[in-house]
Amino acid sequence: MDVYDQLLGWQRLDRRMLLVQPVREVGRFLPALIGVALFGRSAEGGGLWGIFGVVVPVALGLMRYATTGYRITESRVEVRHGLVSKRVVAAPLDRVRTVDLTASPIHRLLGLVTLRIGTGQAGDKNEERLALDGLAGPAAAELRTRLLQGSVSAAEPDGSPVADEQPEVALRLDLGWVRFAPLTTSGIVIAGAALGVIAQSFRSLEILPSVDLDRAERLGAFALIVLVVLGILVTFCVLAVVGYLLTNFGFVLTRRRDDDTWHLRRGLLTTRETTLDHARISGVSIGEPLGLRLARGGRLSAIVTGLSKKQQGSAVLVPPAPRAEVDRVAVAVLGISGPVADPLVRHHDRARRRRWTRALLGAGLVSVALLLLAYAASWWLAALVPVALLVGAGLAHDRWRALGHALVDGYLVSRSGSLNRRREVLHTSSVIGWTFTSTYPQRRAGLVDLTATTAGGRQRVTVLDVEEGLSCELANEATPGLLEPFLA
Amino acid sequence: MDLRPPSQRVDPLARWMWTVSDALRLLPVLVALWVISGYWHWFEVPGWLWVVVVVAMAAYVALVPQWRYLVHRWEVTETAVYTQTGWWARERRIAPMSRVQTVDHRVGAVERMFGLATVRITTASSAGALTIEGLDQVQAIDLVEELTRIADTVPGDAT
Repeated sequence: MDVYDQLLGWQRLDRRMLLVQPVREVGRFLPALIGVALFGRSAEGGGLWGIFGVVVPVALGLMRYATTGYRITESRVEVRHGLVSKRVVAAPLDRVRTVDLTASPIHRLLGLVTLRIGTGQAGDKNEERLALDGLAGPAAAELRTRLLQGSVSAAEPDGSPVADEQPEVALRLDLGWVRFAPLTTSGIVIAGAALGVIAQSFRSLEILPSVDLDRAERLGAFALIVLVVLGILVTFCVLAVVGYLLTNFGFVLTRRRDDDTWHLRRGLLTTRETTLDHARISGVSIGEPLGLRLARGGRLSAIVTGLSKKQQGSAVLVPPAPRAEVDRVAVAVLGISGPVADPLVRHHDRARRRRWTRALLGAGLVSVALLLLAYAASWWLAALVPVALLVGAGLAHDRWRALGHALVDGYLVSRSGSLNRRREVLHTSSVIGWTFTSTYPQRRAGLVDLTATTAGGRQRVTVLDVEEGLSCELANEATPGLLEPFLA
Repeated sequence: MDLRPPSQRVDPLARWMWTVSDALRLLPVLVALWVISGYWHWFEVPGWLWVVVVVAMAAYVALVPQWRYLVHRWEVTETAVYTQTGWWARERRIAPMSRVQTVDHRVGAVERMFGLATVRITTASSAGALTIEGLDQVQAIDLVEELTRIADTVPGDAT
């Protein structure tokens, strides 16, 4: 980068980012170093390869620092990369949907952040390239303000932003909510990953848990099994809670009225700040997986126009929390309570029959498999058949109870699912098109799955098993005129 | 209130195009089964199972393309695109012209054999693309031009 570049407004990453890679490398060797210090032995021979493994990332970091630049012109933000083949990625400012600031512990130590610009070009590779890894904290905050001002002023030409208004807090994490952590699937995944890492580090330090077989025998097999199961459960809960805190510690959701943005901050070690343009929020998705629902909890994410499925992390509004809090924030985001609280239209009895046949068909197949296994291996397995049938019946009933839809205050509302129940709320102006899917049995029952496609969130909102005539009325009312030429 | 099917059928040759492509798709399964049992002798496939597999595949190749032809339809108006695809599961898709982003024209290897083409219309939603298979190649190019013309004249930034 030379004088001309500076004249043209190109700016560099912060110089401190050069330290990120070396510090990270030292961090990676830390467990081994501790191992050497404590036990006087090393896990693996590093030698020449070890040095190679340090030098190359550092050199790459140096190159990245030298070749990465960014600038904001009147209408666009540009990021450039590359030494030999230079590439400039540009995005119009009015296409900026979200700005993400993340800081790993190393970044925080050095006062740096990574800034990611979400422009919502669905499935575009440019998304990754519109990231600046290693900006100084204040510089990043300033850049974010400029990026979002660009997008907001473009959306409302007459809206002149008023500076320094106190943001209103919409949600602050209550530490009591960690009780929901073990009840979510992400909790299970995080706990599993953590267990893997722990096992790995034990192995690399060559610590093997020792088992005293004599003592085990005296306890008896039954007590042992109970102990092991309890141990696994407790470990699991602890890990899920730790994972919840790592991601959500200090969770604060605020709204700024002056530039009309939602601002979210969370994270214990790696902090993450997301700013969402309110005008781009086209709806919300209230998640009530079975576990959370039993504990009267839920979670909330926004459907942001232009954000693809991969960037769902940028759209979280409420982490696993009490259902009342979820509803309160959902109402605050939408500005009205109808789509969140109003009762839904129940589906026809034929939809109930379909839930039951489908669930019992699945349970029946499992039962047949179990009986075959029982015949081949052990008769004990046959005892599981009633369990499978009961689970099937439970699922059918719960899935039927979930089914519902509504068209309230300009929002399309749909609820379905049991293990992963969701109530999705989408503004009708964000509905792009419609898909009517019906399998042969559905056609015979006169039912259809109605899907509204949209450019945000999961890209679609589906109303399951609604009567054919009703599906057309619903779509016709939500998007007047679109279906008209094709109505019988 | 009910939707009627779209007005246009795809080219009748599409039936044979689907027959060939379905057969080509199922052939590897048959070959794999033969290699595993007859050539490597991993396990014995009884004669009756061979009969069942071959009959099932033949029935699929013979019937499904015909069924598909009865279902596949499309229609373009000044305001919207409407397609109907599938066989067991029927899918009707409607997208407004103001939200059309790209219009693709594709000719696969099997399609070329029959002089057919596929037109694909995408919108800002990755769940909302419309695909019309089995169009006559000339007709497909005309359709792309027509769609591009209409989409250009309809106001809106397609997001």
